[in-house]
Amino acid sequence: MISAILIFLALAILFGILLGYASVRFKIEGNPVAEQIDNVLPQTQCGQCGFPGCKPYAEALAKGESEVNLCVPGGHEVMIQISEITHREPKEMEAEPENIAQKIVAKIDEDICIGCVHCIKACPVDAILGATKMMHTVIESECTGCEKCIPVCPVDCIAMIPEEVTPQTWGWPEPTPQEAPLIQTFPPKD
Amino acid sequence: MATIPHTSPFTHNASSVRKVMLQVQIAAFPALMTHIYFFGFGITIQWTLAVLTLIIVETALLKLRNRPVAPYIFDLSGLITVTGIVFCIPPESPWWVIVSGVTFALIFGKHLYGGLGYNPFNPAMLGYAFLLISFPAELTQWTLPSEVSGHHISFIESFHLIFTGQSLNLSFDQLTGATPLDEVKTALAMGVPVTTTLNSTNFNGEQIPYGWAWINVAFFIGGLWMLYKRAIRWQYPVGFLGSLALIAYVFHWIDPDTYAPASFHLLTGGIMLAAFFIITDPVTSSTTPLGRFIYAAGIAVLVYVIRNWGAFPDGIAFGILIMNMFVPLIDQYTQPRVVGYRR
Amino acid sequence: MTTTPTRTFKQKLILGLSKLYPMAKRALYRFHGGVFPRYNKELSLSHPLITDFIPKTLVLPLQQHVGVITEPLVTLGDLVLKNQLLANTEKGLAAPIHAPTSGKIVAIEERTLPHASGLSGLSIILESDQKDQAIENSLDVDGSIPEMPDKLKALIHRAGIVGMGGAGFPTFAKIPSQKGQIKYLLINGAECEPFITCDDVLMQTRANDIVQGALIVAQSLGIEHILCGIEDNKGKAIKAMQKAAKDTNVQIKVVVTAYPMGGQTQLTQELTGIELPAHTHAIDVGVLMMNVATFAAIYQAVIHGNPLTSRYVTVSGLGLNHPFNIDARLGSSFKELALLAEPKTPLTYPLIKGGPMMGIEMQSNDVPIIKTTNCILATPPEPMEEPMPCIRCGECMDACPINLLPQQLYWHSRSHEFDKVEELKVFDCIECGCCSFVCPSHIPLVQYYRFAKSEIKHIKQEEATAELAKKRHEFRQERLEREKKEREDRIRAKKEAVKQKAAQKASAETTETEKPKANAAAAAAARAAKARAAKNGKETPPAEPKLSARDRAIAAAKKRTDAASKPTESNTTTPTKKQKDKPKDPKAAAMAAAKKRAAKAAKEKHSTQADATASTETDATDTTDTMKDKRAAAVEAARQKAAEKKRAKQSEQPENDSLETPSVATKPSDETTATPNKASDAKRKAAMAAAKARAKKQQSKTTEEKT
Repeated sequence: MISAILIFLALAILFGILLGYASVRFKIEGNPVAEQIDNVLPQTQCGQCGFPGCKPYAEALAKGESEVNLCVPGGHEVMIQISEITHREPKEMEAEPENIAQKIVAKIDEDICIGCVHCIKACPVDAILGATKMMHTVIESECTGCEKCIPVCPVDCIAMIPEEVTPQTWGWPEPTPQEAPLIQTFPPKD
Repeated sequence: MATIPHTSPFTHNASSVRKVMLQVQIAAFPALMTHIYFFGFGITIQWTLAVLTLIIVETALLKLRNRPVAPYIFDLSGLITVTGIVFCIPPESPWWVIVSGVTFALIFGKHLYGGLGYNPFNPAMLGYAFLLISFPAELTQWTLPSEVSGHHISFIESFHLIFTGQSLNLSFDQLTGATPLDEVKTALAMGVPVTTTLNSTNFNGEQIPYGWAWINVAFFIGGLWMLYKRAIRWQYPVGFLGSLALIAYVFHWIDPDTYAPASFHLLTGGIMLAAFFIITDPVTSSTTPLGRFIYAAGIAVLVYVIRNWGAFPDGIAFGILIMNMFVPLIDQYTQPRVVGYRR
Repeated sequence: MTTTPTRTFKQKLILGLSKLYPMAKRALYRFHGGVFPRYNKELSLSHPLITDFIPKTLVLPLQQHVGVITEPLVTLGDLVLKNQLLANTEKGLAAPIHAPTSGKIVAIEERTLPHASGLSGLSIILESDQKDQAIENSLDVDGSIPEMPDKLKALIHRAGIVGMGGAGFPTFAKIPSQKGQIKYLLINGAECEPFITCDDVLMQTRANDIVQGALIVAQSLGIEHILCGIEDNKGKAIKAMQKAAKDTNVQIKVVVTAYPMGGQTQLTQELTGIELPAHTHAIDVGVLMMNVATFAAIYQAVIHGNPLTSRYVTVSGLGLNHPFNIDARLGSSFKELALLAEPKTPLTYPLIKGGPMMGIEMQSNDVPIIKTTNCILATPPEPMEEPMPCIRCGECMDACPINLLPQQLYWHSRSHEFDKVEELKVFDCIECGCCSFVCPSHIPLVQYYRFAKSEIKHIKQEEATAELAKKRHEFRQERLEREKKEREDRIRAKKEAVKQKAAQKASAETTETEKPKANAAAAAAARAAKARAAKNGKETPPAEPKLSARDRAIAAAKKRTDAASKPTESNTTTPTKKQKDKPKDPKAAAMAAAKKRAAKAAKEKHSTQADATASTETDATDTTDTMKDKRAAAVEAARQKAAEKKRAKQSEQPENDSLETPSVATKPSDETTATPNKASDAKRKAAMAAAKARAKKQQSKTTEEKT
């Protein structure tokens, strides 16, 4: 009886020491949750989540003050990642982005632009160049495609256009095992 | 709309899963013949039963899983599984043994994981382990070779034995007995040294168990042919047989009375069957060259351990199933050096 | 100095064994894996080389190499001579393009490129006059060998030579600028792809060019060892090369026929034993390898001053009656050459650029031959065997010349675990196709790797842009914050200044001695504030009141439309090409979508009225056909929007008021369908009624309690 107690006591102490050691030795110097979430967000800064940018949304999520399914450009994948980071139940996306596959960028119809600077103020990443009463233009490489500039334009001269595919940016599609019907075959070794 | 481009290469060496499986099947033929010679036609009845079960179970499961039936039945991978089980069970065991074994192997060993290519455990061994645990009595009653029992079982007799459990003119006990492995083990438990058991009549006085040894030789020949045809990789048999022989040799050298010689270990039970037909199943084994070797050697160690110190006479099924669990780990740590990189 | 193909005893033994067990041949060479496909090289070798074919039109894409696109130096209607420079650029890595024959430039337009995507690129279209008048020595050389690497590089650059084995990397960029950096110069004559014989024929017919080209490079770079690797299935080529290499220090080395012997890593290892380290250039370890065709082109450029305008191309395949090799002008059409080879059946199937192992199926058969095209392959398609699940057999791993784990790469690519795919070194994959070739399950492994590579690149790109966007956004937030603070500071400073002034005035009356001190301080503060304000104003215009800005904008727009309506007409009648190409539908859709979202937001803010304007807005944009209409409509829309905002603001006011009465807050605002004023009236009434009711209830309650 006493020996059993002693054995279990010893075991308990041993495991306690082991666990304590492990918690010190293998401590994860991880990012705070907000930063982790911010890293998986697409950084379009579009504000479709209802927050002024990606970081505020990430912070709200970290505090548990927001839903996991609000990032529209990130879509299902980002939602899953967020729910994994925050250890919350995944939730179905309410609004699916219209065009996930292709990146879209804003383009100003420079003949119509009246130089009102509204879009410049709306742009979350300062990707629009221009000054008052001067024609504006979009720096395509820095546009995130958030569409924030579209509703503020008084003359509707901004359009979202898909980025052009060139032989340099073209990528091989994923093979689809279902449709592999005809292929040129060269008879192999007899 | 651009169509999806077909991709190179536009040529192929004309190998196919079916061809590989067929080669394995053909390689088992000499062993089948030997089996019939020593133990009668029981195995053919078992095999037919197994194939019938296979067709029914596969069709039903493929239908349930909404998969095309024809290409997945004719890939012949199921045939290899049932052949493996058939060779493992006693040829005169009751018909429901093989039927339940095959059914279990296919459902729980293969289809529940997603079918061919997705199963982590060797289906044949899973089925056999299931039988071993569920029906231990039936599975230890091996038909004795005709040379030992003095009676050659005819086809009709086998049929009766399998379906009714009764023999026409001889009692079941006269025809069946323990396998050499079993015998050695029981003898050891009773204090009889291994050397004495091996020199008894059942072993032909040659220290090499009759019948079983020849089947193992037949498997070996079939295995060599598969190696030549590149249906299997050399690392499996070499790693497995090599390690087993080495361990057996060392232990026998230490204590010949307790541990049987290497030749006995290599030629009893399903060693050759395992070495060339079971552990070579690529789906459930390691894929890197070194990994295959480690995998095979690991099974050898487990087989030897189970044979000598375990509760079961043979340890192939459990050895393989245990090593199957280690496959991802082995693969992880045995990746070959990519050209242009230093280790 | 030459070596004859003598075999050692070991090699003989393995060769003998390979008759029994074919895969024993893998022991004959140094690299890992490899396969032995059926070569079918006799098809195109059985017919003579065609040298005098000049097609009617030649299509010359402006980018035939790795790097930046060249710019055309000729214009429509120009008459050009053979070897004349047509396009070049100084903007970066590029190889100039020369006229393959004499003729007229009939167009400079987008044409389908010989690329897997089937996309098109800007090309010069040359109509030949069949006279083939050439500018002799158009590169203006004196036939001497350049002594310094820089001179050789410049000349190779001018000649437009790129790696002709398939990669298309501009050759000059591959050559080091210092002498003595290279130990081994390797000539790649191991044409390992099935069907292709163009290098074989080149070695047979122009062995001297190749050897001399190699000697030129060796001399100007100061290279001691020149090794030429030729596969042992090209007997005639070996003999010709040995003859040409007699009395030179070029060593002809016969290597075993195995695929992919012609890969740079593989042949380098085979010839020198050096394993090229990953992520470094071959020249860093003292190895420079070029294709035989590249050396021949270098010889032509250095000695005769001829730029690269034609190349040997194999036209072969099981669908052709008369396969051949041709000294093809760059820009010749695939289809034209295939037709020249008398196809057995009409060419309704896609042609393949390159060999069957690494070739690429063309989306269109009317694509031009470029500097890297070595083969046109025509074989009627056959049904492919259906892919089965991977059985992890490991054949692919045994065949991989890079010693990758193809089957694990496949698993991870398939499940989109791209980080793992990258960890397994997918970028070291040379896409040789050995793994797919041996796969018993017929899985299109190579396409999975290509897909994974594309995806990883894409993801990295996206990560970079996201990072940039994040930084820019944060920077902007910071700036806005700073501006806000500065504005507040300014206002405070002003207020203080005013206060102080008042105080000073007061104090001036009382004590005059304190005056200058306080005054000076106040002035300084004011000045500082002013300066800061001025600075801010320079950086970004201070935020103006919204309404006034909009009004002004509209006014400006109006003015501009009035003024611009006339001059812009010419603009509208001839829309620029860019505008023409622009897809109209996605634009409209995007606009509509954005507007809808805006409308939705508006709806939530201030009842349904915004909807009406939103719909009129979309209507307006839909009807805009000409620029003039568009602009007018836009201005109209702007005006409506502004008006709408004003109205909305007005309507917000009463709503806010009504919020103060508690009962309204519970009432859904959707019910208010009339104008906001009316609605709020109704709301107020309803609220009052509710309040009254509640009051009554309470009264009755209290009375009840009392009783």
